[in-house]
Amino acid sequence: MTRTVFSLLVAAFLTLTLPSHAIEQTKGTFKDKFRQLDEDLPTPNSYRTAGGDVGHEYWQQKVDYDIDVRLIEDQRRIVGTERVRYTNNSPDTLRFLWLQLDQNRFRPDSIAERSLLFADPSRRGPQVEDAADGKAPRISIDELRRQQFLDDHELGFVLSSVRDGSGDLPFTVVDANMRIDLRKPIRPGQSATFEVDFAFNIVEENTIVARAGYEHFPDDAREGGNDIFLLAQWFPRLHAYTDYEGWTNKPFLGRGEFTLEFGDYTVDITVPADHIVSSTGTLKNPADVLTEEQRYRLAQAKTADKPVFVVTPEEALANEAEGTTEQKTWRYEAKNVRDFAWASSRKFMWDAQGYQQGGDVQPTVMAMSFYPKEGEPLWSKYSTAAVIHTMKVYSRYSFDYPYPIAQSVNGPVGGMEYPMITFNGPRTELQDDGDRTYSLAEKRYLLGVVIHEVGHIYFPMIVNSDERQWTWMDEGLNSFLDAMAGWEWDPEIPWDNQPRDIVDYMKSDVQVPIMTQSDSVLRLGPNAYGKPAAALMILRETILGRELFDFAFREYSRRWRFKRPTPADFFRTMEEASGVDLDWFWRGWFYTTDHVDISIDRIWKLRLDTLNPDIDYDRRRQENADKPASVIVDRNAKDGKTWVEQNPDIRDFYDENDRFTVTNKERNEYQLFLADLEDWERATVERAVAEDKHYYVLQFTNHGGLVMPILLQLTYADGGTERLDLPAEIWRRYPDRVKKLIVTDRELTQVVVDPNWETADTDVENNHFPRRIVPSRIEMFKTPDREGFERRDIIQDMKTELESEKSDEEKTGDPE
Amino acid sequence: MRRRFCRELVTLLFSVLAAAAAAHEQKEAVTTVLFNERTGNVEVMHRFLLHDVEHASKKLFGAQADLLKTPGDREKFADYVFETFSLQDESGTPITLTAVGSEIESRFLWVYAEAPINKDWRGVNLKHGALIDLWPDQANLINVERGGVTRSAVLSGGQREVLISFDD
Repeated sequence: MTRTVFSLLVAAFLTLTLPSHAIEQTKGTFKDKFRQLDEDLPTPNSYRTAGGDVGHEYWQQKVDYDIDVRLIEDQRRIVGTERVRYTNNSPDTLRFLWLQLDQNRFRPDSIAERSLLFADPSRRGPQVEDAADGKAPRISIDELRRQQFLDDHELGFVLSSVRDGSGDLPFTVVDANMRIDLRKPIRPGQSATFEVDFAFNIVEENTIVARAGYEHFPDDAREGGNDIFLLAQWFPRLHAYTDYEGWTNKPFLGRGEFTLEFGDYTVDITVPADHIVSSTGTLKNPADVLTEEQRYRLAQAKTADKPVFVVTPEEALANEAEGTTEQKTWRYEAKNVRDFAWASSRKFMWDAQGYQQGGDVQPTVMAMSFYPKEGEPLWSKYSTAAVIHTMKVYSRYSFDYPYPIAQSVNGPVGGMEYPMITFNGPRTELQDDGDRTYSLAEKRYLLGVVIHEVGHIYFPMIVNSDERQWTWMDEGLNSFLDAMAGWEWDPEIPWDNQPRDIVDYMKSDVQVPIMTQSDSVLRLGPNAYGKPAAALMILRETILGRELFDFAFREYSRRWRFKRPTPADFFRTMEEASGVDLDWFWRGWFYTTDHVDISIDRIWKLRLDTLNPDIDYDRRRQENADKPASVIVDRNAKDGKTWVEQNPDIRDFYDENDRFTVTNKERNEYQLFLADLEDWERATVERAVAEDKHYYVLQFTNHGGLVMPILLQLTYADGGTERLDLPAEIWRRYPDRVKKLIVTDRELTQVVVDPNWETADTDVENNHFPRRIVPSRIEMFKTPDREGFERRDIIQDMKTELESEKSDEEKTGDPE
Repeated sequence: MRRRFCRELVTLLFSVLAAAAAAHEQKEAVTTVLFNERTGNVEVMHRFLLHDVEHASKKLFGAQADLLKTPGDREKFADYVFETFSLQDESGTPITLTAVGSEIESRFLWVYAEAPINKDWRGVNLKHGALIDLWPDQANLINVERGGVTRSAVLSGGQREVLISFDD
């Protein structure tokens, strides 16, 4: 009895309109890069303070779920019933509720499917090719497979009943959303309970690219093969109702992820009896689903110092070779989570290790990994270890991990996060000799993705930012932290997201501001992951320093843990807790597409005129002598003697005294000048003359538009160097070009801007004075004598035979 | 007609790799086309993520391909890039690129090529199919840098060719 209301087909459009402000610069070209952000940020209120903190009347809804779900393996179908208790903590009376029906995105009539552009570079899915080079548009076999899958399967939620204790409730499906009309309004502080019967067919992840789904393994020993099932967005979930937006009405288009309410879950998952389940929450009935041996191993794992197999590789192999018609029900409970996901397969081996976190919040956390043989031997070595490492590092930056479980599950999804559970994709290669091996790059992928996805359990699963609106709020913060955790794992691995890595993106003219709604972002990777992560690294290492940054970041995490922050709350908290005005930084990095390119244009060298003729006239004489001689005089000298040289007997005063000769006339004037000075003026001049310092005026141009501190490395004639950082505020009145006086005891020979590549400066050639040729990569590549250990191909060179051994052999060998 | 359609389809016949999907960052290759006044060459510098190249090489050259261990496999991949990338002037006349080489640095594989600059060029047309042929998520950022100005495009399965004009 589903009624579907179509809304208009809305193509994603990316027109950027400039915000119009009450205050405008209508003459001249001045740009106020330091204009305070308060007029662009939402007005503070009793829910969210002007300092970015949780307001004294902050509220959020609570939604508790009790779900029975069954996996029908041979049909690859989910059938379930959810009992939902919705608690209205808002000051508003609610007459209806909105739910998310994410599976409806795969229906052919969904907004997501109908607004899918042909040959959209931002699409995640099989390949199609636009008309080009005189050829017609083309589609790939993979796209055909996707189309056929959509044709052959009825996708989307089937809702057979929505009811409360008194009977059926009317409901209206609007694309991937559903409105339930309540029997009576839920007043502030009240709760309502309802039930939904739902079912859907699971998509094949590798065909549809859906963040979840099944993966089929046709070559397993069991007849017909096996599947790994990853279940996410699998039950009708309440939309968020917020103080800043009311109900979230943006439909799920496949990109902007989820914004959800916290609540408590009890979920009974019924699967084939030989399946192993990994799930959000704590397993409440281990005696019903695990063998005694497995329960013993799990208990051992709690205090083990390395991962312990709960299901061994041999057991998993035996499992995947057989099959059963029996069913088992796994019961999970999860408190205070914003979502619930699970995985199930008879292919899984399972390892676990207790992480002794200490503290009061959650002294022991079980870190666990689930993976098929196709992930070995990589997974048993590193997955659970990476889960624990992530918690260690992230907790230092934020708060103690608050849940009892943290898991990494291998399946068809490249990387995706849910409370207490993450899906990660790395696999190994089966070689002809039966070994499974993996490359260094695959190992780095596993470490990187497990850290990243487990990190997401903190952001946004606990610090519950609105992913539908702002991808960067979880991906950017998390990419920053995953790199921090990465460097602490192994600094030999070149981790992502350093400022230098984002230069190519930032100088390109195909980008949108970070502050763009998730579904409209062009080039999501560098926009929502790389650039904000690099920005935070710069904030920590260069602008605030580690102490101030870490305090502010921890404060943000503490304030918004289990709550719902907005971008303004982040910006305001970081500024308020660090005590440093950062409006210019947020404006430049998050609200514009400017890049960093600061050049040092020129340097004027000044010297103090003493006004003492005995000093100054001599300096003038020297300056004159330093000028190159006249070429006429030089050449005439070769041709013969001048008149003066030919007549040495005719000399006068001016032959003995040059035009810089000082007379008492000048000396008297100088004495008069000194006598007229006030005492303090005389003292100042005398001291300056005595010190004879070097004065330099440096001119900088901001080519990129983004205002940043000017980081200077000064090199002196005596070989010494000095670091001088000019704060970003130097640009406040003249954002395009500034000059700075530097007074020093030593003679300056070289100035380099941003010598350590900290600021993502896109053109380093103009960072040098005097200018230095910075060769292009190709020029560097062609340089014959490049040195450096990194360039050695040790793996190949290792095969080289030792010359001495060979020559020994040659010496002793019989030449027959 | 039918034969032609099929053949074109078959040229794209690669199965979807386990692409970095969902919440994991989508990767991009970057190609810089630098008009280097100092050398008088237009320099083409492709930067690929090693991890992508590794998967691609296995797909292209067989399961045993190993970029880190076998320099020959790196060269094979560089040859593949030379075959799938081309440069023309604004009127479509091919610009003959000379292969310069390839190298691995940190987590990237770099592939280099160059050609002498012709002062008459009013723009460059780029065709770039490297990795795009292999999986759906691939996007190749192009930065054409000339006289301190950067002009960009993103090429992908949807668009593999772009004309970047020097005229404002």
